[in-house]
Amino acid sequence: MIPAGMRYYIGAEARRRRTVEDVAMSVFEAWNYEEVITPSVDYYDLFEQGMGRREAQRGFRFTDNDGRLLALRPDVTSSVARMAATLLAERPRPLRFCYAAPVFRQQTQSHAEWRRENTQLGCELIGVGGKPADLEVLRLAAEILLRLNLQSRYCITINNVEIFNGLAAHLNLNATAREQLRRLIDTRESAELQRFLHNYDSDEAHTFSQPTQLTGKGEVIRAARRALTNARSLAALDSLEELWTEIEALGLANSFEIDLGDVSSLDYYTGLSLKIFVHGAGTSIGRGGRYDGLTGSFGCAEPAVGFVLNLDALTEVLGRNTGQDR
Amino acid sequence: MITIAIGKGRIQETALPLLARAGICLNDDAVNSRRLALMDQTGQYRFIFVKPADVPVYVEHGIADCGIVGRDVLLESEADVLLPLDLGISRCRIVVAAADREVMTKVQGMIRVATKYAQIARAHFGSRGIPVEIIQLSGSVELAPALGLADVIVDLVETGITLKENGLTVVEEIGESTGRLVVNRASYQLKTDEVGRLVRALELVV
Repeated sequence: MIPAGMRYYIGAEARRRRTVEDVAMSVFEAWNYEEVITPSVDYYDLFEQGMGRREAQRGFRFTDNDGRLLALRPDVTSSVARMAATLLAERPRPLRFCYAAPVFRQQTQSHAEWRRENTQLGCELIGVGGKPADLEVLRLAAEILLRLNLQSRYCITINNVEIFNGLAAHLNLNATAREQLRRLIDTRESAELQRFLHNYDSDEAHTFSQPTQLTGKGEVIRAARRALTNARSLAALDSLEELWTEIEALGLANSFEIDLGDVSSLDYYTGLSLKIFVHGAGTSIGRGGRYDGLTGSFGCAEPAVGFVLNLDALTEVLGRNTGQDR
Repeated sequence: MITIAIGKGRIQETALPLLARAGICLNDDAVNSRRLALMDQTGQYRFIFVKPADVPVYVEHGIADCGIVGRDVLLESEADVLLPLDLGISRCRIVVAAADREVMTKVQGMIRVATKYAQIARAHFGSRGIPVEIIQLSGSVELAPALGLADVIVDLVETGITLKENGLTVVEEIGESTGRLVVNRASYQLKTDEVGRLVRALELVV
């Protein structure tokens, strides 16, 4: 017997997994990211503060000798944020950290993500905000995928969660309606969305009711700009456009896409949000974004941005692409 | 090329004419043969025909980029897929039906619910705080109340004839189900142009 969502790696597959990890870690190192190894077990409270209750509850939980609730780490970012705010509070900024560490989640978000143990290859850039920091992590992600020979086989989608937040505030939505709007945009349910927005006498909401206009290159921003009027959304749209201009200037526009419909982790991210997709994998194989609110919950608020790649999903898709396993 | 999974049976019968109106045509002989995977006449789309409940599975795993399936099946599967278009085909209602119209107020304590749609039934009664025992069946659900297995059923109703023949009436309406275009999350980003073309072609004919 073996528990669901657990597996072995043997021989060639284990070697390939190691290679992927080495490639990512060497890119992180070349960009001056320091490796950090965080505790595998920590107080459950840490993860609830770090990830929000809904995500943290997916962790494996058990009790310490004194009865306090512990968890097998469901993410690494929470722990790194606490470290930056406490242990390294005096260290000059910016802080750059990277890690390759397994995380454990009891329930996965999608039936297609069957693993309950995943190794995250991740990085965090703490203490600097704004476009240069956002661009740095995007370039890092692109470089790792390039070094894995996934050129023209991957797509990184970017969004700024403040575009949605601005709209929700503008429409004066309560928590329930906001969650309903978020869900309809997330699943691109255009007909239901139009019905939902019909109750709100606002032209700008209709930006989101054309699902095929949410995803694309620079034209997505121009279309959204024509419809959105609230200052908060427009400011976010400006910074997304600035980022996009830089991406174009770097010649990376073919591998990037703007996706205004990416509203899956609004509670967590405060600006940029990104998702990474690779041909051959049915779910995203990485995600990240800006989380300026997180370190504040550990007593020292400062800007932070980062992303993680799922080593296990990457190994699988690379194996399938090269046909080495079957 | 993109792969589209279609639920065999009721959905397939209404989906194929709709696709044809959108300019995506399958060869009739090929459809009538027992082959489970077919190309359309332009070679842009590959179709696979699977059991309706398996459509969300193929799409969620990205084996099929898109799928056409009823909302009832989607609600039951709780699949994490995108739902860009309501195709308006195979329209039917998801209802609570019983022999006794007053059953919901008469039964004290636990209501026994027979259904093929355990998730939908659990969510419907659970959200209103009504304790229920869900009895999962795989067919002929209408028999359950008459034979004493359950107090009510949760099922799909198209015309209501089957309910009537078994002495049942609709007590509550849970929702409406129609055929949906569903899209895999990764395909939506990696094949934006192709998926967008399909969505726009179908949008014009629904």
